[in-house]
Order: sequence, then C-alpha cells, then structure tokens
Amino acid sequence: MVGLGTLWVWFAPYFPVLVIVVVTVVVAWVTDLIIGGLMRQSTPQMARTARRLGVVVVAVIGGTLVLQAVGLNPTVILLVIGLLGVTVLVALREPLSNYGAKYFSDIYTPFKVGDTILVQGVSGKVIEINPMTTVLLSENDQLISVPNVALIRDVVVNTSPQKWKELVIPVSLSATVDLPTFESDLLKSLTKLRVRLDPRFPPVITTKAVTAQSTDLVLTLMIRRPEDREAITVEVNKRLGEILERMRGGLRSARAPES
Amino acid sequence: MASLSLCINTQTPLVQFLRPYQGDLLDPASRDPTDLGTLREGVDYRFSPGGVTRMVYPLVRRLLKEGVLSDAHWVALNPKAPPTVRLGAMTLHNVTIDVERMAGYGKVKEAIWSRIHELDPKERHDDLFWTEAFAEYAYYNRSTAELIRELDQRHDFDVFYVHDFQQMPVGHMLGSLKPKIFRWHIPFDVEAIPEQWRALLTTYLDGYDVIVVSAEKYADSLQALRPQGKVVRLYPYLDPADYGQPSRATVTATAERLGLRPRDVVALVVARMDPIKGQDLAIDAVAELAEEYPRLKLVLVGNGSFSGSATGLGLSKSASWREHLESLVRERHLEDRVVFTGHLPQEDLDCLYERCRFTVLPSVREGFGLVAVESWLHGKPAIVTHRAGISELIRDGVNGLLFDPERAGDLAKKMRALLADRSGKLRARLSRNGHTASRLCSLETAARAEQEMLVEVTEA
Repeated sequence: MVGLGTLWVWFAPYFPVLVIVVVTVVVAWVTDLIIGGLMRQSTPQMARTARRLGVVVVAVIGGTLVLQAVGLNPTVILLVIGLLGVTVLVALREPLSNYGAKYFSDIYTPFKVGDTILVQGVSGKVIEINPMTTVLLSENDQLISVPNVALIRDVVVNTSPQKWKELVIPVSLSATVDLPTFESDLLKSLTKLRVRLDPRFPPVITTKAVTAQSTDLVLTLMIRRPEDREAITVEVNKRLGEILERMRGGLRSARAPES
Repeated sequence: MASLSLCINTQTPLVQFLRPYQGDLLDPASRDPTDLGTLREGVDYRFSPGGVTRMVYPLVRRLLKEGVLSDAHWVALNPKAPPTVRLGAMTLHNVTIDVERMAGYGKVKEAIWSRIHELDPKERHDDLFWTEAFAEYAYYNRSTAELIRELDQRHDFDVFYVHDFQQMPVGHMLGSLKPKIFRWHIPFDVEAIPEQWRALLTTYLDGYDVIVVSAEKYADSLQALRPQGKVVRLYPYLDPADYGQPSRATVTATAERLGLRPRDVVALVVARMDPIKGQDLAIDAVAELAEEYPRLKLVLVGNGSFSGSATGLGLSKSASWREHLESLVRERHLEDRVVFTGHLPQEDLDCLYERCRFTVLPSVREGFGLVAVESWLHGKPAIVTHRAGISELIRDGVNGLLFDPERAGDLAKKMRALLADRSGKLRARLSRNGHTASRLCSLETAARAEQEMLVEVTEA
C-alpha cells in the first residue's frame, strides 16, 4: 500500500507548476473582469477582443513561468514573448490607428451625425461614428464604411448647406449639476453673444447621453461670420466654465453646514 | 397588442388644489402619493375646466378601462399641489418652479400664444427666443423633461404623449428613442410664425414621431415646416355621457338663480375670459339687436384659464378682459341684457345649454371650439366663427351658422336669422344636423383613432 509520504515525494517536483497554473487562471479571470469593466462604454465586439487579448497575454506569461519551472531557458521564453508582443501590435495596427483617429476626429473634424460629407471620393450622410469607422449612407442607399484614420489623413468636405455657420460644442456634465439651471444660465449668457450669432437660429441644447454619473449634451450655435468661429468657440467655452464653476460654488455653499 | 405604459404631459394639471396642501392636506415629509379619493372635490380640489378634463382625462380613463393602457402617469405644472397624487389607476406628477421663473415662462408662452393667434400685429416678438425670459421657458420645459426621464427610468414607459405648445420642447429635451406624440391644440398657420422662430420650432417638432393637429387646414400648414414626424389630423372630442339632461324644474330654478326671466331669449357664450374669445363681438351684436329683440339676453359663462386664475399660475389677463367687457356693457347701456356668470359647475352649465335659444362661439381665433359640440349635444344650434378649427365641419345653414368676426354686423345678422325663426324650422334643422356632426367629435370616434395611433407609433 502506498503511503501519503510516498505520494508527496512523487508529487513535490510538480507542485510549483500547479501553483503557477492556478495563479494564472485566477489572474486571467481578474484581468478579464477588469478589462470588461474598463470597456463597458465600448462596442461589445471591441470589449470582447480586448478581454481576449488580456487573457491571452496572462496565459502566455503563465505558460512561460510553467516552462521555466520545468527547467527550460527563460531567455528563449522572453524572446518568444517579445516576438508575440510585436506580432500583436502589427496585427492590431489598423484598429488601433482608427481608434486613435476617432478620438481626434471627435474633437477636430467639422462634421457630425446627420451631415453629408465627401471623403476619398465617396459622399454620403453620416449615420454613425464608431471607434473604427464612420458609416455613410449614400444617395442610392448604400452603406459606406470609412476608416476613421482616413478622416484625419485625407481632405473631408462637409457638403451640408450652411455648415460653416454651425458650431457644435460638446458639454459633459457631472450628475450633480442641475440641468435645468445650467441650461437656463447658459441661454442667458449666450444672449450676450447674440450680435455674433445668426438671429434665425437660437442656441439649441441637445441631450446625447445620460448615465448615473454624467449627462452628455451638445450645444449648437449658428454664427454670422466664418472668421468668428474660433473666437466664439473660445468665448463659449469660457462662459461654460464660468457657469459650471459658479454652480459648483453654489453647490458647495448649499452643502456647507450652517454656522 | 400588449397593454401600454403611457406618460402624458400637459401644462394644465388635471386637478387643481384649492387649499395649501402642506401640513393640511398632506404631511410634507410623506413620500407616498396623496390619494385623491381621500380628499373632497370642490373643497380640497377641483378638476381643471377645459380640454384637459373634458378631453384628455376621459380618453385616458377609457383606454385604461379597455386595457389598451396598463398604467398612466400624468406630468403637469402644478406649483400648488403635492408632488404626486393618485387618481384611480393614474398617477399625477406635479412640476413646481419658483415665482420668478414662472414670470419669465408666462411671458414667453403668452407671447407665443399671441403671435400664433395673430392678436397684435404690432407685437411681433421676433426676438423672443433670444430673451432672458426664454431661458426660464427652457428651464420649465427642461425641469419637466428631467422629471419625465426620471419616471421613465422607474416605469419604463412605452410612449410619451405631450400636449400643447407650451410643452413643445419636451420631446427634444427628453432625448429618448421611445415613441413621442405631440398634440398641438391651438391654430397652426405657418404664415403667422416669424422667420426667426422657424428653425427652433422645427427642431422642437422634430423631437416627435407624430404631431397631431385639430383641423385639416392646420395639418396642411404644418407640412410647410417639413417636420420629420407624421402629421395627423384628429378632431378634439367629448364624452357625450358627461352631458346630462336636467329636469325642467332644475333648468327653471337655475335660470332664475342666474337672473334670467322666463320670457328671456338667451344667447349663450361659453368661453374663458380672454380677448381671443371675442365676447366683445357678441356684446356688440346684442347692442345691434337690442331694440329689435327686447327680450334678448346674452349670458357669458367662464372666467380665467389655469394660467390666468388665482388657483392656477396667477398670470392674470382674464380679470382685465372682464373689466373691459363690463365697461363695454355699460357703454352700450346693456346692463340688463348681459349676464356674467363666471365659472359654473357642469350641472348649471347643462341647465344653461337647455335654457338657451342658441349658442355663439365668437372667437377671433380658436384652435377648435368644442363648445359648439356641447351645444349640439344639448340639441341647440351654434353660431360659429369661421376662424375656429371646427368651422371645417360646419356647412353654413345646414348644421350651423358661420360668421366672419372681421366683418362688422355679420354675427348680428346670423343671430337675427335664428331670432326671426318663429316656426323653429331652421333651429330644428341646425340642431338635428349638428347632433349628427357631433359624432365626429365623440370620445367613441376619437378613442378608436387615438388607439390606432398609439398602436402604429409603438409597433411601427
């Protein structure tokens, strides 16, 4: 009959490997959860890819450690990991550049969903701007997908009528800000800029997204003269900041205990 | 079709509170809705007179009863009411804004009202949307939209039904993908809308999937703005069951109490005290006919709207209009020919409809004019301004008489036709055909149309 001591002698050399495998599984699981949480606002496809990537990286590291534990050369293993990393970067070059381009195009390109644009010889109405591509609907009902990176690299023409007039300013408010008061104060403040704005188009504030943490709005203004565009943007942003600062001050006073 | 969860939004609340509720009708610390069933109608609260109670409420009740709706939440401006009130299967949610903001809001809504009704050509209000008062109008609408959004998170509504021009921005402000219907109750003439208003109005109207108007001519005019939503014409309506026939003795007693003698020939005007309602035209017509018809008496029923009344928003224009009318009566020496009754309960109103010879709708502009339908339901002929939406249902001399409020003496001419009808043949014809026309404006007809619209908008 084989005793416990004999069994341990047989199993002992493999114990570190078992520990590494268990730790790798736990770390991969935690990594999957963290990446999933961080990418909650991304598309499901994007989140899934990132989670898979995270798990693979952890698995590769865990596998390397296992190989090291059974006596293989770690230098070779590190080289393998490095090569894998480069492979991943090369493989994801296009999506990553599109993702970065989306970030910049949100801020700097003068078009939004609903506008008609011309880019790389194709024209259509913008119906979606996702992290990878901007989707256009052509006049003959075809969907055209333009990689976001093209919108940064190439010339984009916004052919919607009078688009030069339109100034679209995104505003993100914390959930603690009282939206009716903010809107009312902003509209009052913008009456001071009235001479620079087209009288036929009063400011419009549109709700884009509401979460428990924040409200995303878009302020749309129509300017009178194209050359005022930058100055008005700066002035409006300054006024927005002042209103929010004032409201934060009000909130602080409201919360301060009575003396 | 599964039952729908509906959120209604009106400016005028269904119920007005007659006493301050804090510490009296309700424990302010309580978060439970006040149950209207525990309060006394006429003492603690009353139903708002007008379309909200006569039209929207019966429709919602009916759709709840028929299972078309599973529940209904009604959001309205009601600064003097508890935050939440239960009324049967309905929950009323009240929006409150402070007095200063109310003044700005009232100023803008009155200006929009005045411009759309083309009341004063000198006061165009072209720059209205650039004024500081407009910021308060936006504040009120945003507060309403925020409350509705919060309720939607809790109740997951299937559809939003927003009523009247005051609430127009709510659909846009909600930013919800769920279906939204907007009912425009007042007249709509694109020519009356200043160029400076059109872009914002279009933006707001584009917040809705369906826009309902009260007459074909308004629908045609609205199409000129090319709204993204579907434009639907739906006649306003009443529940005929709400209109009782009082006994002869009750009618006599009520008439006596209101100062009417048995031999008086009564012309009845039922309208709130508002310049747009044109009571002055009726007074002028009576002045013209006074000598010819010495027993003719004009009865003016109504006082302020929710906005103009003391229990409402206190934006009073009704008191000054009544003063103007009273001075006009003195000027024309008609003190014994014109009776001002103020607001009357439905039972008294039913008695007056029974007692009158005919009714007059003298408005200089009128979104529709349901009082003509009330008149028909009581079997009385109606003389109707051709500036009312309902005029498209009237064939002059067949089911009613039409007059032009801008043509001097035209109303008196039409009144004379009915006063001179000694055989009563004309009155009988108009009443009979009017009663038939009233079916187009009955709750029965409308409930079917509204239900079809709700199904279409939620299942499309």
